[in-house]
Amino acid sequence: MTNSINEFEDADLFLVTGSNTTAQHPLIGSRIINAKERGAKLLLIDPREIQLAQFADLHLRQNIGTDVAVLNGMMNIIIEEELYDKEFVETRTEGFDQLKSVVSRYTPRVVEKISGIPAHDLETAARIYATADKAMIVYCMGITQHTTGTDNVKTCANLAMLTGHIGRPSTGVNPLRGQNNVQGACDMGALPNVYSGYQPVIDPAIKKKFEDAWGVQGLDDKVGLTITDMIIAARTGDIRALYIMGENPMMSDPDTSHIEHALSNLEFLVVQDIFLSETASRADVVLPAASFAEREGTYSNTERRVQLSKKALSPPGLARPDWEIVCEVSRLAGYAMNYRSPSDIMKEINALTPSYAGITYQRLEKCHGIQWPCPNEEHPGTPYLHRDRFSKGLGTFLPCDFKPLAEEPDEEYDFVLTTGRIYYHFHTGTMTRRVSILEREAPEPLIEINPDDAKRLGIRSNDMVELTSRRGSIKAKAEVTTRVPRRVVFSTFHFYEAPVNLLTNPAHDPVAKIPEYKGCAVKVRRCV
Amino acid sequence: MKTIAKENVKELLKSWTKQYQVLVPTRTTQGDCIFDTFQEDTFTLDYKKPPLPPKSVFFPHNEVIFQVVKNEFREVVSANNTILFGIRSCDMMGLLQCASFMTRDRKDVYYSAKKDTAITAVMACPGPQNETCFCTTTFSGPVAKKGFDLLFYDMDDVFMIEAGSQQGKDLLSSGQFIDVDDTIAREKIEAFKKKAVQSIPLVDEVNEAMNRLEDGTADEKVWERFGRKCIVCGGCAFVCPTCTCFNVYDHESTPGSGMRARTWDACLYGGFTREASGHNPRSTQASRLKRRHEHKLLYYNKTDIQGSLCGCVGCGRCSDYCPVHIGTLEVVKEIAAK
Repeated sequence: MTNSINEFEDADLFLVTGSNTTAQHPLIGSRIINAKERGAKLLLIDPREIQLAQFADLHLRQNIGTDVAVLNGMMNIIIEEELYDKEFVETRTEGFDQLKSVVSRYTPRVVEKISGIPAHDLETAARIYATADKAMIVYCMGITQHTTGTDNVKTCANLAMLTGHIGRPSTGVNPLRGQNNVQGACDMGALPNVYSGYQPVIDPAIKKKFEDAWGVQGLDDKVGLTITDMIIAARTGDIRALYIMGENPMMSDPDTSHIEHALSNLEFLVVQDIFLSETASRADVVLPAASFAEREGTYSNTERRVQLSKKALSPPGLARPDWEIVCEVSRLAGYAMNYRSPSDIMKEINALTPSYAGITYQRLEKCHGIQWPCPNEEHPGTPYLHRDRFSKGLGTFLPCDFKPLAEEPDEEYDFVLTTGRIYYHFHTGTMTRRVSILEREAPEPLIEINPDDAKRLGIRSNDMVELTSRRGSIKAKAEVTTRVPRRVVFSTFHFYEAPVNLLTNPAHDPVAKIPEYKGCAVKVRRCV
Repeated sequence: MKTIAKENVKELLKSWTKQYQVLVPTRTTQGDCIFDTFQEDTFTLDYKKPPLPPKSVFFPHNEVIFQVVKNEFREVVSANNTILFGIRSCDMMGLLQCASFMTRDRKDVYYSAKKDTAITAVMACPGPQNETCFCTTTFSGPVAKKGFDLLFYDMDDVFMIEAGSQQGKDLLSSGQFIDVDDTIAREKIEAFKKKAVQSIPLVDEVNEAMNRLEDGTADEKVWERFGRKCIVCGGCAFVCPTCTCFNVYDHESTPGSGMRARTWDACLYGGFTREASGHNPRSTQASRLKRRHEHKLLYYNKTDIQGSLCGCVGCGRCSDYCPVHIGTLEVVKEIAAK
């Protein structure tokens, strides 16, 4: 997030897109609801009628996968009507002419054809976003989990820069991070191209810095593989061993049959997790890890806040904190890591990571967390980013053209399946499906289908239906609801009984390699 | 009547730890106040309304009821001799209401084992602990009327202490306390009470809302408006001193071994009332909110309320913590206004 969670209190307008905020970030969702009650405006762009739709001043229900067209259309109107922030564009950005030329093709009529959003509604949306004083864009996986995920994100950024809605309190672009520490994992360089604090592995000076710190020579200066690439490489035999920690690709990655094939093709699979997940049960070696309550460490949340978490219980059986397991594996492999505690590791993070330099254990002990960047111990942390300049200097407009879903519906596979999550379960259910109350609240998978489609296909709520894509098929009960538009079905990846990723398309974004979980073609039939 | 100098309280608590588990207001390193086992360096007398009521001491969030080891059954009833020091009067009433509910028709042995061996030392409130306190309206504070073993009154540099039970009297018989003339003490206590009561404003809307719910004139649309924004976290039930609902579940650890446990539940969850057929008599969040608040304000049991106004003890925590402001105060004000 470029802003902080507390800044929701003062925003005048929220543009929420691709985020079922009350279900997935309920405490942030509650701030939007409270803001609505004090008079703020809510502009929702989402194909589904989520809980926030009841609070929206305007709800645009775009066809799935047409986000770039919709946002370009808003920018087209904003430029046409001269509602953009000329001073901001002149002093803080570059590439405006190129943006203007690309978005000029996205007139309201053209966008209506692509997205299904009435031209008039798009105009209203453009005007209320552009003329708001403090506007926050809030987005989540509905924006990123597309073959055009990177384009979608760039286009959100273009819209914010065009209107000067960035770099101020309660004004910015806010991707909501879905897990308590996914921000921290990225910050720590659990990515193929960077060390901690996003320091590139290809930079010789950075390489040298880490070699010196770790007392080694010849750290790899080539960018590694993403998960998506690893799975492909496992299938082709280019990767022979995988060490998976806290991830359950057998449930969470697209086209499960494909994943299963890739994993079985490995010579050696190690899985480190707190439960024997679908993936762990296929491993040659399972390393039992301690859960959050059984270890000490820090988490970095969606607003870049690093928080200290203490151990409350001892881990059961042979389970150990992840850092201890990694150190032990490293020692056995011939490189002794000499950390005695998480605070030792934090000292190294402070020394090697400029944005975390001032976030010391001693400070974290006494407060409710510190937001990076925090370059030194006197620095209070940074509530919002890009205040007077962007980290690269001028913000560059990176205009994108609309590209359709990789797999559009056709005559045979005539529905779009979009996948997501529900309130009561987390991801592949390895944790939440073991919790009695959560399991009672949501005991089984459901497939949402629009009443018009249901009627046509003779489907009633609780009937078993079968979804089939080119990659597989699943059966689950139907929930007939207007929450989904016509020709769209929705289901979740929480349930092993109907693993929706058997169906999803592994086609992925060319840059971020994120798969298109949010749209693939399926056919629907009622089971007899 | 007895007194103790504030500076000697730490020593008193320390002496109690020899025989009891002593739970006291505790300052965390982050500055929050919780109730935790007495430690000299974290104990504090500088605290307001603790974020959580003490109900979890007797009714843990998660509690094993029985264990099965290799097909052998063993009931688990656990209890410590606990002293709860410094709880607020509203929470004392909350404990009384819970205890009544948990023993009225049938004795809940798991609850009672802990409650029956516990000693409560209440800290009378000299005034509102924050802006949501309304115990004067619900007759549950600022000074506890019954149920306590000891009742502490803050008189600047000393506490004046009243015993409410034989156990309380026994505790006061140790040499750590100083005698004070009863007449003088009574006068001081009356003055304390008068000032405290006057400083906590009455919330007339509570009575008005109760009347409207009773005679059926409450506007039903209120529930729809609240139901629309409820995020179903269940937090109101978890911070409530009088909510006692639980769910029972089994967990098999290995074949033939496992446990049965109970865990806090909340009536705001859809599955709470869903029937085996799938039918749900409280099918909307609005109807669930209505039921929750009616339970506190209308359908409470006359015995269970222990002489207070209703099933709400006026602690105001639901209003303090509900992320979307659906606390009792907001609800009664909305009902009374319509």
